[in-house]
Amino acid sequence: MMTDDVYREMESVVGEENISREPAILDSYAFQPFHRAEPGSWIHRPAAVVLPGSTGEVQQIVKICHRNKVSYKAHSTGWGAHSGPGKEGVIQIDLRRMDRILEIDEENMYVVVEPYAICAQVQAELMKRGLNLHIIGAGSSTSPLAACTSHMGMGFTGVSMGYSGRSVLGVEWVLPDGELLRLGSLGSGSGWFCGDGPGPSLRGIMRGWAGYDGGLGVFTGVAIKTFHWPGPREPEVEGLLFDTKTEVPDNFKVFLCYFPDYERWADAYYRIGEAEIAYIMSKNPIGAMIWAFTPHLMRKITDMPAIKTALKAAQHGCHVMIAANSPGDLDYQVKTLKRIIEETEGVLIDVKPPFESMLWWSGVRVSAVQAIFRPGGTFFVGLGGDEAVDNTMLQAKFGEKIKQDFIDRGLIYDDLADVMWGGLYEQGLFNHQEEIMIFNARDPRQAKAPEEFAKACARTAVEEHLGGIGFALFGGEKMHDLFSPVTSDYYKWEKKIKETWDPDDLSNQTFR
Amino acid sequence: MTLDDYRLDMMGCSRCSMCKWVPLNQVKSWRYARSCPSISKYNFHAYSGSGKMNVALSLLDGRIELDETVADIAYKCTLCGACDVSCKVYRDDIELCEVIEELRELCVTEGLLIPEHMIMIDSMKKEDNVFGEPKSERGNWAEGLGLKDVNSESADVLFHAGCRFSYDEDLRGKVRGSVRLLLDAGADIGIAGKEESCCGGRAYEVGYRGEMDNYADDVVARVKASGATVLVTPCSDCYSTFKYFYPRAGHELGVEVLHITEYIDRLVKDRRIALSHDVPLHVTYHDPCHLGRRGEPYLGKWEGDKLLRPLSRKRAGRNGIFDQPRDILKAIPGLKLSEMERVREYSWCCGAGGGVLEAHPDLALWSATERIREAGATGAEAIVTACPWCERSFIDAISEMGEEMAVYDLTELVTMSAGIGGE
Repeated sequence: MMTDDVYREMESVVGEENISREPAILDSYAFQPFHRAEPGSWIHRPAAVVLPGSTGEVQQIVKICHRNKVSYKAHSTGWGAHSGPGKEGVIQIDLRRMDRILEIDEENMYVVVEPYAICAQVQAELMKRGLNLHIIGAGSSTSPLAACTSHMGMGFTGVSMGYSGRSVLGVEWVLPDGELLRLGSLGSGSGWFCGDGPGPSLRGIMRGWAGYDGGLGVFTGVAIKTFHWPGPREPEVEGLLFDTKTEVPDNFKVFLCYFPDYERWADAYYRIGEAEIAYIMSKNPIGAMIWAFTPHLMRKITDMPAIKTALKAAQHGCHVMIAANSPGDLDYQVKTLKRIIEETEGVLIDVKPPFESMLWWSGVRVSAVQAIFRPGGTFFVGLGGDEAVDNTMLQAKFGEKIKQDFIDRGLIYDDLADVMWGGLYEQGLFNHQEEIMIFNARDPRQAKAPEEFAKACARTAVEEHLGGIGFALFGGEKMHDLFSPVTSDYYKWEKKIKETWDPDDLSNQTFR
Repeated sequence: MTLDDYRLDMMGCSRCSMCKWVPLNQVKSWRYARSCPSISKYNFHAYSGSGKMNVALSLLDGRIELDETVADIAYKCTLCGACDVSCKVYRDDIELCEVIEELRELCVTEGLLIPEHMIMIDSMKKEDNVFGEPKSERGNWAEGLGLKDVNSESADVLFHAGCRFSYDEDLRGKVRGSVRLLLDAGADIGIAGKEESCCGGRAYEVGYRGEMDNYADDVVARVKASGATVLVTPCSDCYSTFKYFYPRAGHELGVEVLHITEYIDRLVKDRRIALSHDVPLHVTYHDPCHLGRRGEPYLGKWEGDKLLRPLSRKRAGRNGIFDQPRDILKAIPGLKLSEMERVREYSWCCGAGGGVLEAHPDLALWSATERIREAGATGAEAIVTACPWCERSFIDAISEMGEEMAVYDLTELVTMSAGIGGE
């Protein structure tokens, strides 16, 4: 329990200006309307919030919590209900004072960051050195450390860079009892360059597939693998989003690809993966895109069945960006893509300015996805996960039916029932898909939709053997209990790890 | 409007934290990626744009009491609007700054008053200016310029100097030079002299709306009596008040309102001001918040669901005054302009606005210092701006920092290039 003595002890670590238990301050951490199935905006109010400024301070805070059996929850940028307390009496550790880029090693191609350096900052600095990093689909306002160590990690460049879990090298990890563990080469004093030693390699324990969302202590530093950036060192971009103006470099090409059906779309994905082409591949739901870009138009379109049908014809497709290192490379990749599209009976649209500018920069910077909040104020993700391409297509087919039912009942926005957001990963090793539904949380009827939607998706996934447990993350214990028996008992193993590393359950894992 | 009228805005916050950063498209470095002075200095989420809305909603929901912490959160904010711009890149249905304004008005009506603001309001009541300086000395800055007195004669252009330019003697040469420039261009200018009053914008921003209404009535009456067709002000705070707050509160001036940079831009383009002399300076330009993103004209009240509001009715900052000052600077021969990373609608605030200079000078100084560092990073030897409040902040920050950077009002550079000698 958080007593006055515990508070004062923590205050002595961080200073009075970096700790608070004022109700107004605390309630700003209790407002978490996003990434939650149940209606409402408030989660448990933390018992205090503390802002450590260094790994040493984090260790001291966690040790105080451990000694006094007080639960704590760390977050970086703090977006989503999984970032906040999942119960009463939890200390919120806000890591925003730890915001530095500690090192950029150009020769060994990695960057070392603290929790509150956001992707856009890191990318801007990397580009100046001809490097880039994988940014998750939630956008470049997120923490790359969190994506690497603690939460999912899917994004547009997955096809060429893999998901965030693949980019983890050395890690600095404050364990649930406050001890410091250094993973990989960092653990043997050899620097940050390798995740697997010399030194302990515990990445599987650290995050498994989707991460513990702060349930296994606090990550205070991570080295992230970077990738060659063949674009300009300091791109000159005008505009904030929809008005983006920039010169797309000659060695980049942006395409939209459409296919007649799920099957030929999947075939194309497999072949693009095998050909090892493309820098970015992203499926953006057509209805959601129109809602995000032109909500007023989409409101009109929803009353026009013929137009809706015409638009939905474009649901089997994706956005492909090619980045080449030479004219020959560009030629090879474009020819290969064209051939694959032709042989899978698809349509390839070579995107021209000014739309090309927006797609190029918002794709690289990952700055447009957040517009999905525009039409209704929020969205939710149901069925989805990371599976073989064919399986994700199957998920999408079922998802379409589920979503249409919710649209017909007026519980969510009519986005043509087009699923999915996602894209190809690791040259075709798997596909990620998320069934996004847009709703207005301020409408009491629609506010209840996510809970029912999550249940409908989960039930279908289990009954139809679709896999796709990724979004059980936000569903809590019941969702895990549903999925776990049909998915190698993952939750049993996850709980065993948690019980071993944090037997007093102090490092709070919101949705477990 | 009341805070409760913004409940849906507050409920709509997704807590994405975009309000803490410049729009993602425009993040150019680690160092200058932040947009909000308040959260950048105080760190607790409550001090961000999002956090202020969370706190206000918590109040409405009865989860917390209106107390000194709430007031601290509400007032340690320059109301610069950077959070609002970044939010509106993605959202049509949230008026972040208006929530903060309503929260402040609630503080005032509930008696949670900031002593420094009470002093300012008291000064305004007694002397019609924010400094408590004698009203009788308001027009002293214009002595010897031969300007018309609109209290007794008519003029085409009513020049409203504003409180800062009227009383800050360090800035006196700047405002006098700007008027001489306009006279030289043949403008028929009059001033209200000691009868000029504060615009009331600062009172409005710290929650004393009734005070602004009083001043608005006074200003409207004087403008009408002057027979002027144009009101020109060199103060960005006054400009924003005239362009946005007055019409929003139902006060129509009935004349064209121009910031002096707009007016000079016209005169240069009409060849009434010739920029013929070299000004061999390397400068950077600071967009004043109240001239830029907060300088947009009022477009009328939107009734109903903001989700249905067209983009043209969204106050997103893009229609502020950004191009005219740059056009002028680019037209000055010999002058080199280097832009800072945070410019136009995502410019960093000088720290002087929203009652912060009066109540929280440490935050004001910190914010100005941050801007001077950014200006220095461009390699420029001088920072140019178009607002006396920004100029005061920068002069003080540079002095505190021990830096060498010069601070110019844009009109000074025009005066130099036009060959109008200094005093």
